[in-house]
Amino acid sequence: MTMTKTLLACLIAAGAVTAHAESVTYAIDPSHTFVTFEANHMGTSTLRGRFDKKEGSVTLDKAGKSGKAEITIDATSVDTGVAALDTHLKSKDFFNAAEFGTAKFTADKFAFSGDKVSEVVGTLTLLGKTQPVTLKASNFNCYINPMLKREVCGGDFETTITRTQYGMSYGLNYGLPDNIRLLIQIEAVKQ
Amino acid sequence: MLAPRLPGTACDPPGGSGLAWGGPARRPEWSPCRILLRIVAAGGIAGTGAATFAAPQDFAIDPAHTHVHWALKHFGTSTSRGRFDTINGAITLDREARTGSASFTIATASISTGFAPFDGLLRGPYLLATTEYPSAYFVSQRFTFDGDKLASVTGDLTLRGVSQRLTLRALRFACRTDTEPAREVCGGDFETEFDRSAFGITHSLPFVADKVRVLIQIEAVRL
Repeated sequence: MTMTKTLLACLIAAGAVTAHAESVTYAIDPSHTFVTFEANHMGTSTLRGRFDKKEGSVTLDKAGKSGKAEITIDATSVDTGVAALDTHLKSKDFFNAAEFGTAKFTADKFAFSGDKVSEVVGTLTLLGKTQPVTLKASNFNCYINPMLKREVCGGDFETTITRTQYGMSYGLNYGLPDNIRLLIQIEAVKQ
Repeated sequence: MLAPRLPGTACDPPGGSGLAWGGPARRPEWSPCRILLRIVAAGGIAGTGAATFAAPQDFAIDPAHTHVHWALKHFGTSTSRGRFDTINGAITLDREARTGSASFTIATASISTGFAPFDGLLRGPYLLATTEYPSAYFVSQRFTFDGDKLASVTGDLTLRGVSQRLTLRALRFACRTDTEPAREVCGGDFETEFDRSAFGITHSLPFVADKVRVLIQIEAVRL
């Protein structure tokens, strides 16, 4: 009896150890991964734009409740639907895409609420400056995609950055805001 | 009967609007000139006999700051977003009488998600069928106000040849006076939601949600 109990305890412990070591890599799905920014325009309406080119991967250990993420965003792919505005956004006034071709988000701290990711803490490097950023997950889920026949994990994340912290201050004096809201859609496919 | 076009613009300084006159924090309808005009209108001194002070003003939408964004849930997980880039439209707003009308044409083929294969799929026969239905329309003659503030716009959305009544809620609405170029701009953010199946767009249900959330940025320049 004691022997059985001990064996059972050992098996459970072994199972737990195995589970803890289960770190899985997911490659981001570019068709369902976008960073959209929102900025109030001159106190009137909300201007939105997105970045169309990005790549990256996420490592998730669901049992150990930890994770890592690295996502690179192509600053030249900024897209508002207005070509003249995109050109201005790529210029030195804003993203200075000629000099800083990419922005990078790196995270190594994932907070969980139950078995769902609730927060991702990391840094954002923009215009060559790195600042801490916390993404709040408003939805996190994993599912088996019937087309890919693979597990896909993802959700919606958001944060607000202060652009002057990255040295981007154009237009502050005539009503363009310092605080920019980022709405991030991420889906990543198990590798 | 059309409301008489009382001299609402008589209070505006040359080359600008009533908004600039009192400064941005001051509501133009409470400027001394407008109050005087209200008294005149109410007392019938102007001889029009009009009970309400009506000042309809026409606006043309600014395509650089007018976009229809949509969002819907993908596999119950993340939110897929997209927008329509080509929108034409006109708005008539009567801030005195608190009425308005609007008419928008949206080029369905201007849909943009940032992922070209999606855009192709969305334009195709199973979804927006943009060859057969190149335009979507939104037409409204009902603006509701909460006090002085535009609260909602109710009208008919025609999408894929199907018309449905929709109410756009105004999240924020404001008018401002630009100096370069000198002009008055009114606009804000509006939102609504609808079931795409109500317009016959059922492809990928239920993996891609039926409920479409619509976020509309509008800025319009006073003519």
